[in-house]
Amino acid sequence: MATIRSAGPPVRKKDERIRRGLGERAMGRIFLAPSFTFMAVIALFPVFYALWMSLYQIRGFRQEFIGIDNYLRALSDPGFYNAVLNTLIFTLASVSLEFVIGLMFALIMHQVFVGRGLARAIILVPWVIPTAVAAQVWRYMFDHNPGFVNGVLNTEINWLRDPAWSMVGIIAADVWKTAPFVALLLLAGLQTIPKDYYEAARVDGAGAIQRFWSITLPLLRPAIVVALLFRTVDALRMFDFAYVFAGYSNSLATLSVYAQRFLVAEPQLGYANALSTVTFVVVMLVGLAFISRMGRHMVGDVARRGEKR
Amino acid sequence: MTERTETDRARGAVRRAHRPRRTTHPAVTGGLKILGLALVLGWCLFPFLWMGMTSLRTGSVALTDPNILRGPFSLANYEQVLDLGFQYALRNSLIVAALTTIICIPVASLAGYALARLPLAGRFLLLAATLVATLFPPVALVNPLYQMYLKLGEWTGINLLNTYTGLVIPYVALTLPLAIFILATFFAGIPREIEESAKVDGATPFQAFWRVVVPLAAPGVGAAAILTFVYATNEFLLAFSFAPRDLNVQTVPVFVGTFERVGYENPIGQIMAASVLVSVPLIAFALILQRRIVAGLTSGAVKG
Repeated sequence: MATIRSAGPPVRKKDERIRRGLGERAMGRIFLAPSFTFMAVIALFPVFYALWMSLYQIRGFRQEFIGIDNYLRALSDPGFYNAVLNTLIFTLASVSLEFVIGLMFALIMHQVFVGRGLARAIILVPWVIPTAVAAQVWRYMFDHNPGFVNGVLNTEINWLRDPAWSMVGIIAADVWKTAPFVALLLLAGLQTIPKDYYEAARVDGAGAIQRFWSITLPLLRPAIVVALLFRTVDALRMFDFAYVFAGYSNSLATLSVYAQRFLVAEPQLGYANALSTVTFVVVMLVGLAFISRMGRHMVGDVARRGEKR
Repeated sequence: MTERTETDRARGAVRRAHRPRRTTHPAVTGGLKILGLALVLGWCLFPFLWMGMTSLRTGSVALTDPNILRGPFSLANYEQVLDLGFQYALRNSLIVAALTTIICIPVASLAGYALARLPLAGRFLLLAATLVATLFPPVALVNPLYQMYLKLGEWTGINLLNTYTGLVIPYVALTLPLAIFILATFFAGIPREIEESAKVDGATPFQAFWRVVVPLAAPGVGAAAILTFVYATNEFLLAFSFAPRDLNVQTVPVFVGTFERVGYENPIGQIMAASVLVSVPLIAFALILQRRIVAGLTSGAVKG
C-alpha cells in the first residue's frame, strides 16, 4: 500500500486523501440516514407518542388529561397482574424447556455425521411455519374433539377450557416450535469448540460428563447467552399462541394480548397505551440486562474491524 | 460441506485407531446416534403428519375419532378453504413480505456497510443501539401507530388501515435492525484489502462499495433478505390489528389464526387444509435456502 501511494506525485496524493476522507465520512452519514430516520419515525416516535397518549383518557374523539391515572389503574387491575403472571410463567417455563431440549438436540446433531445436513435442514421446518398457523394446528391437536393429544396420552383432559392445562398447551406448542431454533444456535456454537480440547481431556482421563461440564458448557456460553436473549425477549412479547388458543380470555392473556385487547376489542386507547408502554419497558429492560452482559462481545468484533484502518 | 464431513470422518477414523479401548460397542453408539437423529426428525415433522392427514379427512369421523389413519379421505376441505378465499390471503402475504424485503434490504445494506466500514463517530453506540432495537416488542407499535394512521387519515385523507402500505411500513421498521446487524457482520468479514485495491485502481468509495463489496456480500444479503421475508410472513399481531377482515389485504396468519367456526360445524379440516397450503411452499423455501438461513440465524450467535 505504502509503496503504491508514494508512486504518485506528492501534491496530488495529499489532495486525493483529503477528498477521499471527506467522501467516506459523508458517505457514512448518507448511508445511515435512511435506516435510522425510518426507525426513528416509525419505531422510536410511536413509543414516545404512546407515552404521551397514556397520560390521557380517550373515548372516541374526546381526550382528557389524567396524568398517571392509567398507570395507577393498571396497578389496581387484577387483569393486569394476571397478564404479568401469565407472561412470567410462560417465559420461565418455555425458555428453560427450550434450552434443555435445544441443547440435547444440538449435542445429538453434533455427534451424528451421517444425516447431519438432513437434520439441519429439517430443523428449520418448525421455525419457518408462521406462529399463528402452528398455534392453530396445536390447538386442534389439543382439542377435545377429535382429541388427538388425549388419545396419545390416554387422558381425558379438557386442554382448552382448563386455564392451567391450556397454559401447558401453549408452552408445549412454543417449545415445539422454537427448541429446534435454539438447537441450531447451539450447534453453531458447538462447532467452534476445537476438538483438541476434548482429546486432551480424554488423555487426562476425563469422563464424558466431566468433559461436558468443564469444556462444552463454558465454551458454549456465548452461544447460550445469545439463544437465551432471543428466546426470553420473544417469550415476553408473545401474542400469537395465547390469542389463537384463548382469544382475549384471562386464562392465557399475556401482556401483549392484554394491551392489544383495549385497542379494538374494548377501545380504551389511553389505557391501551399505558399497558403497551409498560410491556415495552419490561421487554427492553430484560433485553438490556442480557445485552450489557454480552453486547460487548457481539458488537465489539464488528466495531473493532470497522475501526481498523 | 461434504468436504468437511469427510475430513471429520477421517479424523474420527484416526481417533478410533489411536484409542486404546472402547467402553461401548460401536454398533451400540451407532444405534443410539440413529435413535437420537430419529428423535430430532420426528419432533420437527410429526405435527405435519397430523396436519396433512387431518386436512384430508372429511365428515363426522374427523371430529370424533383421534385415529388419523381413519377415512373417509377427500379433497373437500381444500375446495372449501379456496371457496373462502384462502388464495387471496396467500397472495397478500406474498406481496407484503416481498415489498418488506425489497424495501428493507437495500436500506439496511447501506447502513450495514457504513457501520462495518466507513469512518463514523460513535460506531460502537450505533451498533449497540441497532442490537437493542432488534428486541423491540411489536405491541408497543400497535396502539400508537393505529392512532397515527387515524390522524393521518383525518388530516390528509390518506388511509393506511386495511392497506398493504399500512403493514409494510411497520414491518420494514421492525426488520431493519436485525437486517442491519446481520449485514454489518457480513461486511466486516470481507477483507479490507480487496476494497483498498479497488480504490487504488481508481474507484471512488461508492464504486468500491457497489461494484466490489456488494457482490462479495451476496450471501449475507441473501441471508438477511430471507430472514426479513420469513418475519413478514410470520407476523400476526400488527396484521391482525391493522387489517383484520378485508380479504384484499388479510395475510395468511390472520386468515388461519382467526378462522371462525361457521355455524355448528367444527372447521378443523379447513384450517388444516389452509395450514398445509401455506406450509408446503414455506417448507420448500426453507429447505432450498437452508444454508443461507443457517448462516443468517447464527451470524450474531457464534462470533460478532
